[in-house]
Order: sequence, then structure tokens, then C-alpha cells
Amino acid sequence: MSAVAFRGVTKRFDAFEALAPLDLDIASGEFVTLLGPSGSGKTTLLNICAGYLPPTSGSLLIGGRDVTALPARRRNIGMVFQNYALFPHLDVFENVAYGLRARKVAIAELRRRVQEALRTVRLDDFGARSVRSLSGGQQQRVALARAMVIEPDILLMDEPLGALDKQLRKDVQIEIRRMHVARPRTTLYVTHDQEEALVMSDRIAVMRQGRIVQLGTAQELYSRPADSFVARFLGESNLVRGRVAALEEGRASLAVDGFGAPIEGRPARGLKVSDEACALIRPEHVRPVAGGRQARVLERLFLGEIVALRLVSPGGVELWSRLFSADAPQDDVIEIGWEKERVSILPEAS
Amino acid sequence: MTPAGAWTKAFAAFVAALVVVPVLATVPLAFSAQSFVRLPPQNWSLRWWGAFFADPSWLRALATSLEVATLSCLLSVMAGTSAALALPRLGPRVRALANGLFLGPLIAPVIVLAVGLYALARALGLVGSTIGLVLAHTMLALPYVVMNVGVSIATLDPRLALAASGLGAGPWRVFFTVVLPSILPGVIGGGVFAFVTSFDEVVLAIFLAGPSVKTLPVRIWEEIRVEYTPVVAVAATIMIVLAGFGLAIGRLTARRRA
Amino acid sequence: MKHGGPVARVAVAALLLAPAAVIIAMGFIAPLARLAILSFSAPAGPLAAYRELATVDVYRIVLRNTVVLALVVSAASLAIGFALALVLTRLDPSWRAVVFGCVVLPLWISVLVRTFSWMLILESNGPLNRFLIALGITDQPLPLLFAFPGVAIGMTHVVLPYAVLPIYAALARIDPVLLRASDGLGASRATTFLRVLLPLSARGLATAATFTFLLSLGFFVTPALLGGPSNTTIPMLIDSFVNERLDWPLAAAASMTLLAMALVVIGFAGRFAPIGAISEIA
Repeated sequence: MSAVAFRGVTKRFDAFEALAPLDLDIASGEFVTLLGPSGSGKTTLLNICAGYLPPTSGSLLIGGRDVTALPARRRNIGMVFQNYALFPHLDVFENVAYGLRARKVAIAELRRRVQEALRTVRLDDFGARSVRSLSGGQQQRVALARAMVIEPDILLMDEPLGALDKQLRKDVQIEIRRMHVARPRTTLYVTHDQEEALVMSDRIAVMRQGRIVQLGTAQELYSRPADSFVARFLGESNLVRGRVAALEEGRASLAVDGFGAPIEGRPARGLKVSDEACALIRPEHVRPVAGGRQARVLERLFLGEIVALRLVSPGGVELWSRLFSADAPQDDVIEIGWEKERVSILPEAS
Repeated sequence: MTPAGAWTKAFAAFVAALVVVPVLATVPLAFSAQSFVRLPPQNWSLRWWGAFFADPSWLRALATSLEVATLSCLLSVMAGTSAALALPRLGPRVRALANGLFLGPLIAPVIVLAVGLYALARALGLVGSTIGLVLAHTMLALPYVVMNVGVSIATLDPRLALAASGLGAGPWRVFFTVVLPSILPGVIGGGVFAFVTSFDEVVLAIFLAGPSVKTLPVRIWEEIRVEYTPVVAVAATIMIVLAGFGLAIGRLTARRRA
Repeated sequence: MKHGGPVARVAVAALLLAPAAVIIAMGFIAPLARLAILSFSAPAGPLAAYRELATVDVYRIVLRNTVVLALVVSAASLAIGFALALVLTRLDPSWRAVVFGCVVLPLWISVLVRTFSWMLILESNGPLNRFLIALGITDQPLPLLFAFPGVAIGMTHVVLPYAVLPIYAALARIDPVLLRASDGLGASRATTFLRVLLPLSARGLATAATFTFLLSLGFFVTPALLGGPSNTTIPMLIDSFVNERLDWPLAAAASMTLLAMALVVIGFAGRFAPIGAISEIA
């Protein structure tokens, strides 16, 4: 039995369909991220899970109970908001203790749990501090502690790192991952930042226009994206457009104008011969290969330990290649190739 | 906040009505056909309006009210705008002192001001004079004008004045062509408030009134403490209509300012 | 406008400030100074007027009545004002504008007209009593007028907008996400109200309480018209000193006392609410 289950959940705002019928299962202790651009419906889904928004239809089960009709305060959720939403008139201790006080936890146990929560987020001695005196990162950790201390059935996080600067964001991402690995809590996390999703999640649900386009581990989504949207959303990609020339079990070839020989690769589901599709070749798989396809180097970008090369084929097809500096060729005209196994033939996202 | 359900809207409508209806209760009485006071009237007529406009004492009261209100409006607008322009140029301590003094008329109970002004007027032989009442009303309206204009000035871009003087305009020209048009909503808002405040004002008017200087509120006050007829309601309705105009203009200028 | 040195600048500022300064001096400072002097010039001695106020029973009763009335009116307008302000935050913009207009309109209408309206409504043969009798709630008309209930109702009504506005301003400033957070953490609606909404609107409540109490202390017209002999307030007393007893030192002393009370209230409240909050009323 999954910890959280969405069954046929939809959401409509007047004429606008924010969520198409949606099913999602989250296992106990699993960290699932809803990843997508703004407007994809991820925050809507989170708010429905929290109970702040009723679904138009469908049901939601948490811990096996149907909570669809229950208001947020009866659901035992722990929510971390984008702007932290710490109570400005209460100090750090009282903020973290808030949910426990609402549950009428005995004072001795309350104190113990709050202290432990503060310890977990490494803010041990901050109990008496006022919220206003904290930095953004510290406020974020207090918000986290406040949500975790009540032992929620599910931890919900709505782009909690959006207001932090880049370096701090990376630190907190790793921190959250560390806490999750040490003590797995069922978590639903919303973000538009793919790197964040990759660092922290057990599974990722890529969302677009109210639908889950693909659900899987970071590895699955990266190497076997379902369509060009997912491919573009996660990691760097080369997407070469063409037409499916041949299709058999586990193998397809894509005819591309201006590229000579068709590109071979593993097809995604739902492709048919002569469909318009694209070939996904990750830049790190485009390497110099003796006897490979001809390409001219248009641009050479130095990115530290990596060099990015913008290449063009004689027929005008552009590809990016990413190589370790040591492996990058110095010539302007090179021969390139890639492993067939690394190429995916994907349908174009609508 | 959670959006309003039907109950909330009903409660809001109920309380809103409770707040507004008692204020407007006199209006129907002004249209009564009877001479005894009964609300709502059983028969309707315009006779009391005729009575009002045929009675020289009521007309004189109305004229006095308009005169005093106009004068105090003009005086408070000029002095208040001028003061509001001065405030940003002052050092912080002087400005704090000035702001504190302007708050005085708002904090001190009106009766205290009324008695004080009456005492002063007796000492100066100014009892029952228009000037005394105009001064009193101006003093009362001044803080509001300063505040209103002050808000307008705060939203004024200081670089506009600098640009104008940089182009060769002298201070008067800069004021009339750059500053005044921008702060005009604040000035008009303050002026309307000053006018209506003076027109509505009761306590100062009662104490400073004389046989020849009796505003409309004073006349109403004297009437309703003895036997009165619905003609009083006519006077009250005139005051309500004026207030309505004031509110409308006030709202309009506030929106223009924002 | 910056030609001329700092001296010229100060001179210009002083010149601009002069008319208002003169008006305040003549219309505010001078009268208060005169009253202060008068209050100490009773024939029986400098403190005679104050002593009389403090010792005569009738005057002490009036003082007590005034304060009690002010407290009742304040409390009532705070309670109703809070409810109304809370409702205002929940309405959508078009409804809110209408209700707001209803709250603000009375502020533009003379207190005399508003009081007169209540005279008409509350009298024995007035619409309220007739309504109550028709509903069977009472057989005899309630003696609301010329008694405490009438004064309290009238004054609360007049003072209500001064309660609603600062409370609404404070409530509107509260981030709605905080209420959501409290809800999500399991707090009941009552707990969210008591532990989040109320504390965060405390400043607005303090401002509202200060203004309503201050205004209530200074009421003259409304208690004079709606109240009976046992509802005499300090301002009414001052009026009788001036116009009936013609006892200026006594009137001045009473005025100074009332002014002192006002200053005490402001001083007390200044520790909880910023005085600049007055600008929210205007």
C-alpha cells in the first residue's frame, strides 16, 4: 500500500483545466519531485495534496485513508512554503513547536522533540532567536524543522529554495538529501530546477500542462526520456529532427535531412514508421571517432574541466559535444561518432 | 484569506446597512407632509423644502456656513500646502516638532479648543465674528491638508523640479508648472476635506457663534433642543448631500493620486 | 530651486511654514495657554478650581460616567469593528469597495446630523420601537432615548469607522500564507485566530482602541442630545460652566483636566502603537 495515492485527480478553474486526470503513487519514505515549468500544475497538485485546494474530481489517499474531503488541518501534513511563512511574532522555538502545541503534546516531550528537530537542521542553539534575525538559509531550516517535528504522514515542499542564492541553494539541497537518507520521510517536492530534482529525488515526475509526462528515477528520465520535452528539461541535449525510417524491436533509425546516414538508436514507446521524431544524443556522448561523420568546429567554449564544442555537419545539422579538456581535439575539422546504445529516438512533444 | 461564503457576505451587507442607514434616517423626514415628526412619514410632500427656502434665518445660516467653509478652505489650503512644501526642507528635529504641533488639533478634545478659543475671543473682542470661526475651522482642517498634500509631495519625483530649474525656470514658474500640477490631487483632496469639515463642524461653531454668525449646524442644534418641525430635516439633508459630494470628490482625487 | 546658500534655504522654508505656524499659534497654542492661565485664576486661590473639581461629588460622578461611557463605547466599537474589518479582508474587491464606502461615508457627515438621525430612530414612537413592538419582542416602547443605551448606541455608531480603518489596515498587512501555515500544522480555526491573527493585528487594535477611547472622552453633541441628566459627560459639564455658571476658572480647570486625560491616553498608547498611525484615519 503506498503512503500517498492520487486517483484520477483533476482540477478545473472555471474553463481552465489545471490538472488532467492524474494518478500517482508515492511509497512510504520515498522522495518524489514534481518537476516542470510554471503553469505545469505541479503547485496545484501539491496544494491538493495538502488540502488547501479541493480537487474537481478524483480522490486522494494518505496512509490508506481517503482524505479527499478533509481540510488541511486534519491531514497530518508538514508543509514548507516558498517564502518560509515563519510566524514573525514567535521565536524559533515557538515556531517549531507550533504544530506540536496544536496537537496538545505534553510539555516535556514537546521540548525534547523541538530540540531534536533543531539539532537535525543544525540550529541547536537558535531556539530563543527571533525569526527576523535569521538569514534566508536559516529561516528555511526553521521552516523545515517545523514541518518535520510533527512527524507528518507526508512532507510537502513548494519550491522552498527559490529565494536562496545559488551557492546556498546547492548547500541546502545536499543538506536535505542527507537528512532524507539518514531518515527517509515520504516527501513530495515541487521545483522547476532540474538540477535540484536530480540531486534530491528518489523519483521524478516531469509535469507539463497539467499532466505527468514521465515518472521515473533520475537515471531513467535522463537516459530514456519519453519525449523531447523531458529530454530538453533534464540535462543538456542534442535533438536532431527527422523522420522515422525504419522501426523494429528495440531499434529504430531516423532519416535526417543534411546528415547523410540515418541515425540509429533505441526508440521510445509510441513511435511509428514515418512519424516525425527526433534523435536524442547527449553532448557527452558525441566524441571524436576515427572514420566517423564529418563535422566542422564552429565554436569552442571553455567551461573549466569541460570543453563544449559547437559542431556542424556538411549538410548543416548542428550538434554540441562536451568533452573533458584533455580529450578535446584541436583541429577545426574532425570526425565524430557515438554509441548507438546511447541514442534515443523520441516523439516530438506536442 | 479564505474567500467569503454566503454567510460572510450576508453579515457584511447587514453591518454595512447598519452603519449607513442610521446616518440617512433624516432624509425621509425632510419629505414629510406632516408637521409632527414621524419616521417614516405617512404622507410625502415638499412643503418643508419650501419652508426652508422661505425662511430668512435658515437661509442666513446656510449662507454663513458656505461663507465660513469657503474661507477656511482657502486659508487652510494655502497655509497647508505651503507648510507641506516646507516640511521636506527642514531638519529632522524641526520637522518632528512641526509634525507634533500639527497633530495637536487632532488630539485635543474639540470642547477644550472651543472653550479656549471662546475665552481668547472674549479677551480680544472677537466673539461672534466670522474671522474667529474661520480661524478656528482653519486650525482644525490644517493637519489634514498638510498630510494630504504631504503624501502627494512624497510621491513627487524631485528630479522634475531640478530639471525645470536646470532649464532656466525660476522658483515660481517651477512651482506652478511642475510642482502644483503633480500635487493638485492632494491639494484638492485636502481642500474638499477642509470645506466639508468646516461645513459640518458643530462644537466650535456653537461656542464662537454670535447673533450674526450662526452656521447651519448651530441653527439645527438650537432647533432640536426644543420643539422642532421637519424643516430641520431639510437642513440636515442639505448637509448630507454636500457630504456626499465631498466624499465623491475625495475618492476621485485619492484614486488620481495613487 | 536651490539657488542661494543654506541660509536662503532655511529662510524660504521658514517663510513657507509661517502662515501655518501663525494659525496654529493663534488657533491652538494661544487658546490653550489662555485656558491654562484661567484655570489658576479662581478668586479663591490658584488651585481652588481644581480642588472644587476634585472634591465636589457631582463632578466626580460626571468624571466616572464619562470614563465608563468611553470604555463601553470603545469596547463595543472594537468588537464590531474587528468583525467588520475581518469580513472586509475576505470579500472580493467589488464587494469590499461597496462596504468600505459604507463605512467611510458617515465620516463625511456631521456628527450633529448623525446624532439627530439616532434621535429620530430611538424615540419612543420611532421606527426601532415600533419595529420591536410589531415583532412582539416588547409590549412597551424601550426607553432608549435620554438614557444610557441611547447614548452608547449613538456614540458607538459615530466612532465605529475610527475602529474599522486601523484594524483593517493591520489585518490586510498579514501575509495570508501564515494563516495557511497555521492551518496545515494542525491548528484549529480558533487557535489560528488566537495565536496568529490576533497577535499580528495587535498594533491595529491598539490604535483603534486609543482613538475610539480618546474620541469618546471628548463627546459633547451626542450625549447632550441622546442622553438624560445622569449621562452628563465632562464636555457637557464644561459647557454648563461656561454658558450657565459663567465660571471661567472652573471651566478652564475642567478643560485642562480633560486635556490631561487625553494626553495620558496618547502617552499610554504611544508605547504600543505608533502615533503616525493617525495618518491611516485621514
